[in-house]
Amino acid sequence: MVLVLAIGDLHIPHRAPDLPPKFKSMLVPGKIQHIICTGNLCVKEVHDYFKSLCPDLHVTRGEFDEDSRYPENKTLTIGQFKLGICHGHQVIPWGDLDSLAMLQRQLDVDILVTGHTHQFKAYKHEGGVVINPGSATGAYSSFTYDVNPSFVLMDIDGLRVVVYVYELIDGEVKVDKIDFKKTATTRSAQ
Amino acid sequence: MSKEMVKEEAPSSSGVVSEENRPFGSLRSVQWRINLGILPSSSSSSSSIDDLRRVTADSRRRYAGLRRRLLVDPHVPKDGGSSSPDLVMDNPLSQNPDSTWGRFFRNAELEKMVDQDLSRLYPEHGSYFQTPGCQGMLRRILLLWCLGHPECGYRQGMHELLAPLLYVLHVDVERLSEVRKLYEDHFIDKFDGLSFEENDVTYNFDFKKFLDSMEDEIGSHSNSKKVKSLDELDPEIQTIVLLSDAYGAEGELGIVLSEKFMEHDAYCMFDALMSGAHGAVAMADFFSPSPAAESHSSLPPIIEASAALYHLLSIVDSSLHSHLVELGVEPQYFALRWLRVLFGREFSLQDLLVVWDEIFTADNSQLHRDSEDDESSSFKILNSHRGALISAVAVSMILYLRSSLLATENATSCLQRLLNFPENINLKKIIVKAKSLQILALDSNVSSLSSTFGGAYNCSKSAVVRGHSLSSDSVSPKTPLSLVPDSYWEEKWRVLHKEEELRQNSVGKQTPSGKKRWSEKVKLSLSRTESDPSPARAENCKKGHRSSIRRSLLEDLSQQLGLEEDAEKGGCLGASNSEDDHCIEVLVEGDNCTNKESICAAEERCESGSGTVVSDENSSIFSEPASPGSGTNDHENDTEKSSVASNLFIDENDDHQQSNLEDSPLPVSLPPEDVPLNSLHENESSGKMVSAMKERRHLSGRFQWFWKFGRNNVGEETSDKGGTNEAAKSPNHDCKRNTADSLTAGASRNSSSTSKGDAVDQNVMGTLKNIGQSMLEHIQVIESVFQQDRGQVGSLDNFSKNILVGKGQVTAMTALKELRKISNLLSEM
Repeated sequence: MVLVLAIGDLHIPHRAPDLPPKFKSMLVPGKIQHIICTGNLCVKEVHDYFKSLCPDLHVTRGEFDEDSRYPENKTLTIGQFKLGICHGHQVIPWGDLDSLAMLQRQLDVDILVTGHTHQFKAYKHEGGVVINPGSATGAYSSFTYDVNPSFVLMDIDGLRVVVYVYELIDGEVKVDKIDFKKTATTRSAQ
Repeated sequence: MSKEMVKEEAPSSSGVVSEENRPFGSLRSVQWRINLGILPSSSSSSSSIDDLRRVTADSRRRYAGLRRRLLVDPHVPKDGGSSSPDLVMDNPLSQNPDSTWGRFFRNAELEKMVDQDLSRLYPEHGSYFQTPGCQGMLRRILLLWCLGHPECGYRQGMHELLAPLLYVLHVDVERLSEVRKLYEDHFIDKFDGLSFEENDVTYNFDFKKFLDSMEDEIGSHSNSKKVKSLDELDPEIQTIVLLSDAYGAEGELGIVLSEKFMEHDAYCMFDALMSGAHGAVAMADFFSPSPAAESHSSLPPIIEASAALYHLLSIVDSSLHSHLVELGVEPQYFALRWLRVLFGREFSLQDLLVVWDEIFTADNSQLHRDSEDDESSSFKILNSHRGALISAVAVSMILYLRSSLLATENATSCLQRLLNFPENINLKKIIVKAKSLQILALDSNVSSLSSTFGGAYNCSKSAVVRGHSLSSDSVSPKTPLSLVPDSYWEEKWRVLHKEEELRQNSVGKQTPSGKKRWSEKVKLSLSRTESDPSPARAENCKKGHRSSIRRSLLEDLSQQLGLEEDAEKGGCLGASNSEDDHCIEVLVEGDNCTNKESICAAEERCESGSGTVVSDENSSIFSEPASPGSGTNDHENDTEKSSVASNLFIDENDDHQQSNLEDSPLPVSLPPEDVPLNSLHENESSGKMVSAMKERRHLSGRFQWFWKFGRNNVGEETSDKGGTNEAAKSPNHDCKRNTADSLTAGASRNSSSTSKGDAVDQNVMGTLKNIGQSMLEHIQVIESVFQQDRGQVGSLDNFSKNILVGKGQVTAMTALKELRKISNLLSEM
């Protein structure tokens, strides 16, 4: 059972000073095995903070990231699942499911994690899952100020992945759970 | 599951455990389960196979329930997915301690700890223990036990306790499968007494082939002969069959030897072992760092148990015990591992199984101590047969290493020997010895152990180890010498040789008061109980054999005292060489000695048999030693010294150690009286005591003489001298007379000593010559002192004292002349 944290779009220090304290209290080292970060951290301190939670950290580059060495896309395999990461500002229209599906097929992953919209989304389609963890700090996005802080924790267990969504609504942490099961048959390349 | 494990060589001492109370002798797992209290023993209430099966089934059900309860799978909804779980609480990041995820993570941490140990378990038997199946079972069992006992948690070592339990279960299951192969027919499912084979037809009768099968019958007859009925089988095999009948009581769950339920059984055994099954010895106690609730001592149980071990060792073999204590080898250094894992790390697996057979056979029920012993601190571990046997096994192991332990003078190497128990051992011997010690252990666990216990525990902490052990030993009962092994004296000799170097070094050291050092040295020698006078013996032996060394030692001593007449002192000591043997035996009775005795012994050593100097000055010194200027103290010292002196000398002549104790009060009352001395003096026939008295006088005189000279030469007050002169004046007369007689007595003793051994003879001759010389020297010394005295007479306050001094001097001179003659005689010998 592998716990993977999907988080992103913090925009620290430009748009938000720090993670909400309730989120911070939940994020303790030792429980999480991987962290997937969609981008826009933006500074090194945030990177270091995530490193302290878990040494296995994967970050892709967002448009405001100060570290230019992050890649645009990244893929990794955890258990039976292939995961892909991309910030999402490259995929136009932003947040469009079909375009994201194109990216998913391009990267050939089971789970695609993108951000940029600062809205939590979790789609299941065509044997794949697209997850948007939203903005962990609730920073304003390019098109709205009404953003709830949120992030996602994935529990990958064999062929099943349970997605826990943590949202801070009106000062309270709300948790939701979504189950996805990967079909055992392998998808053909075409 | 590998078969190699089962076919390992049977241990050398397989026949140690008696067979009559082991109905399941060959089936260790069943036997152990009975011993540990899980299964009813066959003796109680005629339990049949069915009862065994039922109890087995119950215990297995309990374990399964426990497992379902405690092993947490957070994915599986708790209530079978009825209501939607409260996700705020039940998410993986939840900080809520009650959440399933919280428990899951805690269990994961515990499991990680357990895994660390399991990965290193029995690598030499890795073919079984390192298989994932076995590891998984061990892990689950340990996890569940620790979850069920959160106050204990998991401690390193628990896995070692569990592993052999699982192993014996595995062995028995293997045996079962072997038996199954051999006696297949009996294991076939028999529904109605008919055996069903893999045919479709129930009634295996083929009408067509009837005629043909006639010929086959001849063949089948021979087959059928092999199939005996169950009753004709070996009872052992019979048991196995009955135990594994799938249709017996409780069905499959009741199959006592079952591979499917190995985990359950191992858990039950482990639980019983750890909790002690309402007995006295619970292994879990050994893992707890805090003192048990009802323990009398405020120590963790493992420390208490280690001390119990040492206590037993001190009873059995006090020389080894004191040797270890001196080196600072505390019992818990090695006993921690021994006890926590029940010797799992000391023996090979097969040997360990034999040892555990013994230990488990011993009953673990708490022995009820009668009445008054409850308040005192009896060792908890010794409160049951099993605990006593465990301690006895440990002590027997220590004794097994006796020679190598005594040979080392280094705490580290001692510990190395103890912690690396040798591989090829005579296990039978150890077990037999342990059984004999077990009885002793049970008897020794009586009241008034608190002092011993406290003393023994404290002495390991204090710097002056010997002093404390001295006080503690004073309470212990007489050690039964019969328990000393035959090679004891050889060991002693070796030890003495080593001791001598140590002692020489120690004597050479400077201390504030020479006397105190003497007392320490003698305390050192006296701290051993009667069965171990080695250091004193060493000192005396060495003094006997090398008087020159003694003289040099005494020169050191005298330097501290500020004496000029070193030679005399050496001579004086040399004079006592003849009494070596006596001294040795004398110091044997160190039992109820105290500090006072130390002084006496030193005194006694200084002089024995050499009838040289007793003078006014001697008696004056007599009162000085302990506290100059404190007359009463001196008097006490005198009496104390003399008492010990008498004690010692009584001992020396006969082995009348009892009389020693009786005599001690007597001399105390004697010092101020002359008459008894004289009468004693005449009663040579009553002999020992008389000589003791004389020697006492003699001794005290000699000792005083030393101190006197020390005081003189450092220019101490002569007024004290004068005062003390008067105090001991009258005894002096007799002392002088006594010295002559005692000298003859000493001579006679000398001659008797010559008969004691060839090795001693030459020494005696040499010492006699030394005696003669020293006597002459002493006489000269005394004369010089007399002259000094005369010079100081004028400073005395009392005229009467002057007169007395004068008289005393005259008598002293006459006595000295006599001594001269005697010394001439001696030197001519």
